[in-house]
Amino acid sequence: MIDLHGYGPRLAEGALITIELAVLSLILAIVLGLLTASAKMSRNWLAHRIGTVYTTVIRGVPDLVLMMLMFFGGQIGINMVTDQLYERFGWDIFINVNEFVAGVVTIGLIFGAYMGETFRGAFLAVDSGQIEAGRAYGMNHWLVFRRIRFPQMMRHAIPGLSNNWMVLLKTTALVSVIGLTDMVRVAAEASKATREPFTFMIIVAAVYLLIATVSEWGFARLQKRYDVGYREAD
Amino acid sequence: MEALMNWLETQLADNSIFTLQTLGFYGEGLVTTVQLVFLSLIIGLVMAVPLAIGRGSKHRWISLPIFLYCYVFRGTPLLVQLYLIYYGVVFVEGIQETWLWVILEKPFVPALIAFTLNTAAYTTEIFRGAIKSTARGEIEAARAYGMSRGLMLRRIVLPSAFRRALPAYGNEVIFMLHASAIASVVTIMDLTGAARFVYARYYAPFEAFLFVAAIYLCLTFAILYLFRYLERRLLAHLKPASG
Amino acid sequence: MADTPIPLEVRNITKRFGDAEVLKGLSLKAHKGDVITLIGASGSGKSTFLRCMNLLEQPDEGDVIVHGEEIRFKQTKHGREPADWKQVVRMRAKLSMVFQSFNLWAHMTLLENVIEAPIHVLGKPRKEAIGHARQLLERVGLGEHADYYPAQMSGGQQQRGAIARALAMDPEVMLFDEPTSALDPELVGDVLKVMRDLAEEGRTMIVVTHEMSFARDVSSQVIYLHQGRVEEAGPPDEVLGNPSSERLKQFLAPKH
Repeated sequence: MIDLHGYGPRLAEGALITIELAVLSLILAIVLGLLTASAKMSRNWLAHRIGTVYTTVIRGVPDLVLMMLMFFGGQIGINMVTDQLYERFGWDIFINVNEFVAGVVTIGLIFGAYMGETFRGAFLAVDSGQIEAGRAYGMNHWLVFRRIRFPQMMRHAIPGLSNNWMVLLKTTALVSVIGLTDMVRVAAEASKATREPFTFMIIVAAVYLLIATVSEWGFARLQKRYDVGYREAD
Repeated sequence: MEALMNWLETQLADNSIFTLQTLGFYGEGLVTTVQLVFLSLIIGLVMAVPLAIGRGSKHRWISLPIFLYCYVFRGTPLLVQLYLIYYGVVFVEGIQETWLWVILEKPFVPALIAFTLNTAAYTTEIFRGAIKSTARGEIEAARAYGMSRGLMLRRIVLPSAFRRALPAYGNEVIFMLHASAIASVVTIMDLTGAARFVYARYYAPFEAFLFVAAIYLCLTFAILYLFRYLERRLLAHLKPASG
Repeated sequence: MADTPIPLEVRNITKRFGDAEVLKGLSLKAHKGDVITLIGASGSGKSTFLRCMNLLEQPDEGDVIVHGEEIRFKQTKHGREPADWKQVVRMRAKLSMVFQSFNLWAHMTLLENVIEAPIHVLGKPRKEAIGHARQLLERVGLGEHADYYPAQMSGGQQQRGAIARALAMDPEVMLFDEPTSALDPELVGDVLKVMRDLAEEGRTMIVVTHEMSFARDVSSQVIYLHQGRVEEAGPPDEVLGNPSSERLKQFLAPKH
C-alpha cells in the first residue's frame, strides 16, 4: 500500500473542494456564457460592445493574473464600496472575501467568456428556418428559445462545452496558489513535508484524469441525447 | 537614451508605485516570460513532429505510449506537472552534490521541462489531427507517382498538414503564454512574478495586476496578428481566386 | 517491335471487397501506342480494374507486368500484398495516373506540382525539370498559370494541369480514371482535346470514361465491362458500331 503519511483524509477533502469548485464555476460560466452570447448577437450596440470587450480582455490575460486581481483586489474593492455606503447612508456592512467564493467567481468569469463564444457559434449554427417555423406556429420569443433554439443549439455546443469543462477542471488547480486548500495544495504541502513529491502529485494527477475520463463519457452520452434525429444523416 | 530616462523619470515622479525600479522588474519579467515560452514552444514543436507521426503508426507499441503521454499531459493541470518536476528534481537524494545541481538549482530548468513536455503533448495532438485530415486524393496521387512512404510524408503530407495546423497552433502559443504565469509559483520572476512582487511591496493589487494584464493583452494581440499574417501568407493556396 | 517489351500487361485480375467479387479474372495487354478505353455502367468495376494496374488496389489474384517486369506478390494475414514495395514504387513511376478529382497537391503551385515527382522520384535536376514542366504547361494551354495554386483554377484547368503533371514523368503508359466526370460540361472539351493530341502523338493510354465520342474516335481498342467481366472487346467500329450483346446495346442507346 502507498504510505500517505496521514495525508489521506485531507487529500480527499481537497478533492471534494476541487470538484465543488469546478461544478459551481461551470454553472456560473454557463449562465454568463448564455448572457454573453445573447449580448454579442443582440442588435443593441452597447450590449454588443460590452460582450466583445469582456470576451476579448478575459481571453487575452492569463487565468492566474485574473485570479490574483480578483482575489487580492476584490477585498480592497469591496471595502471601498462598503466604506462609501457607510459614509453616505450609514449602512454598516462588512463583506469578507472568502477564497472559495473568489475562486468560483473568477473561474466562472473566465470561462463565461469562453462559453460565450461556444454558445454564440452554436446559436448561429441553428438553421433559421427552424426558428421561422416556430414563429409561424404562433410561438412567442421565449417559447421558441426554450423549445426550439436551445435544444438545437445544444447539439452544436456540446463539443465546445466539453472542451471548456476539461480546461476549467484543470484551471481549478490555480486556486491553490491563492490559498484555497484544494487537492493540489494539500499535495504540494505534503510533498514538501514528506519529501515524496511523486507519491502525492501522481495521486492528484490520477484523480484529475479520472474526473476527465468520467466526464468525457458523460458528455458523449449527452451528445447522443441531443443528436436525436441527426444520427442517420451524419 | 539619457534624455529618454530623464523624461521617464519626470513622468513617473508623481506616482510612488511605477518607479524606474519597478518598471525594471516588469522588464526583466517580460524577458524571462518570453524566454521561457519561446524555448518551450520551440523544443516542444521539434518533439511534436515525430510524436505526431508515431501517434498514427500501425504498431501499437509505438502509438500507444505516445497516446498515453498525450492523454496524461493534456488531462492534468500544468501546475501539477510543474510541481512534480520541480519538487521531484529538488528532492532527489544527493542531487545537490552532483554537477547537475548547477543547472537544476534554479527553478528555470524544471519549469522549462514541464512547459516543454506540456506543449509537446498538445502540439502532437494538433499535428496528428492535421495529418489525419490530409485529402485522400492527394495521398493517392503521391502513391500513384511512385513516392515512397518517407518521401510522401516529407513532401506532401507534412507541408500541407503544418499549414492546416497553423490556426490551432496559434491558439496553443497563446495558451502557453498564459500558462507560463504559473512559473511565478516556483519563485521564477517572470511577468506575473514581477506583478506579485510589486503587489506585495506596495500592497497595490490593482496597479500591479492591471498593468501586467495589459502587457499580457498586448503580447496576446501580437501573437494573434503574427499568426493571422502567417495564415494569410501560407494558407493563401486554399482560398479560391476572387473573380 | 518483338524485342521491346510490352509497356503494360495484366493477366487474370481478380478483386474482392469482402464477399463481393468485383473483378472476375480480367486481362489486358497495352502495346506501344495503344489507346484502350474501358467503358461500362457504374459498378462494372472499370475504375477498380484501372487502380489494380498501378496497385492502388491490391488484386487478390492475377499478374501485373510492367515493361516486361512482373510484380512479385506475397500472402500476408491482411491478404495478398506486393512482396517488394520498392519494386512497386519503381513501376508506378512508369505509369502515371490522371484522377477523376484531379488530386493536385493543394499546397503547391501548378509548376511545383508538375516538377515534384520528376525531381524527388526520378531524381531529375531541378533546372531541367522546370524547363520541361514549362513546355508541358504551354502544351496544355496553361503557360500563364504556372504560379497558380490548384484552388485558384477551374476544374478544367486543374485537370489539364494534372495531365501535364502526368506527362512530366515521361510515362510508359498513362492511366486516366474518368478524367472528365467531375467537370462542368463546358469544360470537358478542352480536356478531351489535350487527350486526343496525346493519342495522336502515339502515347500509350488506358482510359476509363463515359465519353463515347472519345472512345469511338480515338481508341484502338474498346473494352466493355459488366459486373467485373469483359462483355465485349475489340476495335471501336466493331464494339460500338455493331454491338452483339443486348446489354451493350442498351448501354449505348441514347438516354432520355
